[in-house]
Amino acid sequence: MATTEKAGYAEFMLDGLLEADVSIVTALPESLLRGTYQLLERTDKLRYVRVSNEAEMPGICAGAYLAGKRSAMIMENSGLRQACEPLTRLSWAHHVPMILFLSNRGALGEKNWWGHNHAQVMEPILEALRFPYWYVNELNDIKPHITKAWDHADSSQWPVALIFGGNCVEAPHRAAD
Amino acid sequence: MQRIEAIESLAELVTEEDLFTTSVGILWDDWWNNRPGGVDNTFSPAAIGSVSPLALGIALALPHRRVIALDTDGSMLMNTGVMCTLGAERPPNLTIVVFDNQIYESIGGSPTLTSNNTDLAKMAEGAGCINCVTVDDHEGLALEANRLLTDDEFGYLVVKIEPGIKKWEQEQRKPTDGVEDKYRFRRYVERLEGIRVYGGADQSHVGEIDC
Repeated sequence: MATTEKAGYAEFMLDGLLEADVSIVTALPESLLRGTYQLLERTDKLRYVRVSNEAEMPGICAGAYLAGKRSAMIMENSGLRQACEPLTRLSWAHHVPMILFLSNRGALGEKNWWGHNHAQVMEPILEALRFPYWYVNELNDIKPHITKAWDHADSSQWPVALIFGGNCVEAPHRAAD
Repeated sequence: MQRIEAIESLAELVTEEDLFTTSVGILWDDWWNNRPGGVDNTFSPAAIGSVSPLALGIALALPHRRVIALDTDGSMLMNTGVMCTLGAERPPNLTIVVFDNQIYESIGGSPTLTSNNTDLAKMAEGAGCINCVTVDDHEGLALEANRLLTDDEFGYLVVKIEPGIKKWEQEQRKPTDGVEDKYRFRRYVERLEGIRVYGGADQSHVGEIDC
């Protein structure tokens, strides 16, 4: 695996997804969770659906949920903006629970000039959507947070976002390559 | 051929054990009155552009179940990227049907871009979808829809229709809102599949010390 010293997060994430009984994952690859996308490409333990626009993800995940399967959508936090319209409609009009994994581009120490807006607007958007969210920065938190996120979403019939940063992403302050 | 005629023809080719998604607007009422079995086999998302993604999610979750998206030109044009995803996944149990009237009829009739030079079936084919067909009459619809629904392959059918709205009496119109639709669809899937769909009022933990 061509990943950095922090690639362990990817294994924790895949294990957490499987332990939470997630069987369908949709994602638009980006740099911060690179190891996860690479792992998803290789695994045959769940169905990995690559998309080209985050706006496809809520529909795919909602369909899976309605058909009895747990799913997750993984994206950079900037993707939240692309997915906002279907997320809003499928949550507010239908109360469909969905799980969002957002990599925290623009966190403290961000060196990419283009990345700061991602973090700056992420929380206000999540607040506007009324989506509860939790930060996951430590490896040991990954698996329990994924399970709890689905339990939370199931019992509330509402989406939940997990924001991955710190030790749970690739080297966070390095320019994307 | 108007939409209601196309829907009536299509309804004869499917069963109540198929699962459907539909686009928003007038199509809701047309399908509500023609859905096979009159049962809760249809989810109609209030999300233009998410009709086919939703059907994809259902099809991937239930690969043994026939799933049909009843989409529209306006909805498909809003989220064309899904054509590439469909073209990559090609679920053999999924058929996308796009009713293309070249206008946003439910909101007054402004033209969509398929009224100019956009060909959705060619776009889908270029995106990797297989069995991409356009029909514009009853015979073509009956022939191609039957083929695509029985070939055990993914299919993408564009049905060119003329403008025209069937007026439904108030008591004939789809009476349910989006939240009720969710529960009804999920319960139907439970009965159909003999499975427990997650969520809802899980009280299994009540009585535990930390509940």
